[in-house]
Amino acid sequence: MGTDFRDIQLIERLTNGDKAALYQLYDKYSGALYGVILRMCQNEAEAQDLLQETFIKIWTNISKYDATKGRFYTWAYRIARNTTLNSLRSKNDLIQNDDLGVYDTKAVEENEPEDILLKGSLQKLEPHHQKAIALVYYQGYTHQEAHEAMGVPLGTFKSYVRQALKQLRKTYANEMIWLWFIFETMA
Amino acid sequence: MEKKRILEEGLLEQYLTGELSMENQLMVEKALNEDKSLKEHFDQLEADFEKMAFEQAIEPPIGVKAALVHKLEKSPAKQVQWGPLWVAAGFALLFGVATFWMYGQWQNAERSLKSLQEQTVNLKERMDALESDYILTSSQLKDINGPHVIPLVLYGNQKSPGAKLVAYVDHNRKMVMVNSQGLPPLPASKTYQMWSDVEGEMINMGTLSPKEELIPLKYIEKAESLNITIEPAGGNDHPTVEELISNVII
Repeated sequence: MGTDFRDIQLIERLTNGDKAALYQLYDKYSGALYGVILRMCQNEAEAQDLLQETFIKIWTNISKYDATKGRFYTWAYRIARNTTLNSLRSKNDLIQNDDLGVYDTKAVEENEPEDILLKGSLQKLEPHHQKAIALVYYQGYTHQEAHEAMGVPLGTFKSYVRQALKQLRKTYANEMIWLWFIFETMA
Repeated sequence: MEKKRILEEGLLEQYLTGELSMENQLMVEKALNEDKSLKEHFDQLEADFEKMAFEQAIEPPIGVKAALVHKLEKSPAKQVQWGPLWVAAGFALLFGVATFWMYGQWQNAERSLKSLQEQTVNLKERMDALESDYILTSSQLKDINGPHVIPLVLYGNQKSPGAKLVAYVDHNRKMVMVNSQGLPPLPASKTYQMWSDVEGEMINMGTLSPKEELIPLKYIEKAESLNITIEPAGGNDHPTVEELISNVII
């Protein structure tokens, strides 16, 4: 299982310099990437600029994407994450922060705006699992930073992530079964 | 071993976000390439990750796409990396020219070789002809310079006053050779013919072509004289006595 066939065609067109292919990939993935960027920087105007920057980087670096190594979304996610982290680091540099880590001095937000709260299947996870996923995938923490932020050993934190993903997989599988059941009933 | 470590240490989850060191990243990629079950595990992880991302998606304002489109459409078309292409094209051109030049040289060499071969064959043929001529001439010279050879000169009579023919007769070797260079040319319908007189009977010795150095003729036993007549082209069975132009007693 990898990048789907339609995406492969779009990526091929994009590699040949077809901007329309980039706009179609934008239509498909901008929401997912904006969800990550906005949750990381928690500033809409900045997130919008970073999303645009992310797609410009996708446009200029598409020749480096290797479909055999992973899905397009994973590659685009890494670009979005790194672009956002670099931007946050620049801001930290401007306020003379000597620490290299992005979130070392930042408290984990407890009261986030409504629209950037995690939703869907993630809400069904146990709070510590939900937190672990939020930190590494939606707030740009490394595993090292995240276990410190949560105040648990690294090994424990890693098992939180693994358990959370396992739980999510079960949820998605159940959703698929329900969807199948509904379709079968309707048919 | 690596698979166990990758799974136990949660390296796939870190690989997904791109936070691994280069060394660990390469190790994970190698393991993913080599281990099908690990790759399947990662594929599932990526699929869940993407599903989660779509679930957590937040629609950006429409202005972001408009700004992106505006920025990209304003910028020049994506720059194709012409540098390497030009280098490759240069090499291809150089290779093409070199190949063409080599082909030309090869064709020239082929032509020269063929010409040389033809010249060699020609020279060999000429050499063979010269050698053959030399052998013939040597042999003829030897024939007419033998100790028993009698040279006889036949002068033309009033019918052909300027005619002259030299005959070499060797009775030991039973050979007759003539030099007909002194005979005047005849019309195409006529030829010179030589006869031996044996007890009153004229025996045919053969026809003569004017301007030839040495012509071997038939040796006739007991010939008393040699005679030359002018006959129709191709020769005659009997001499035309009226056309006798020269004779000599042996």
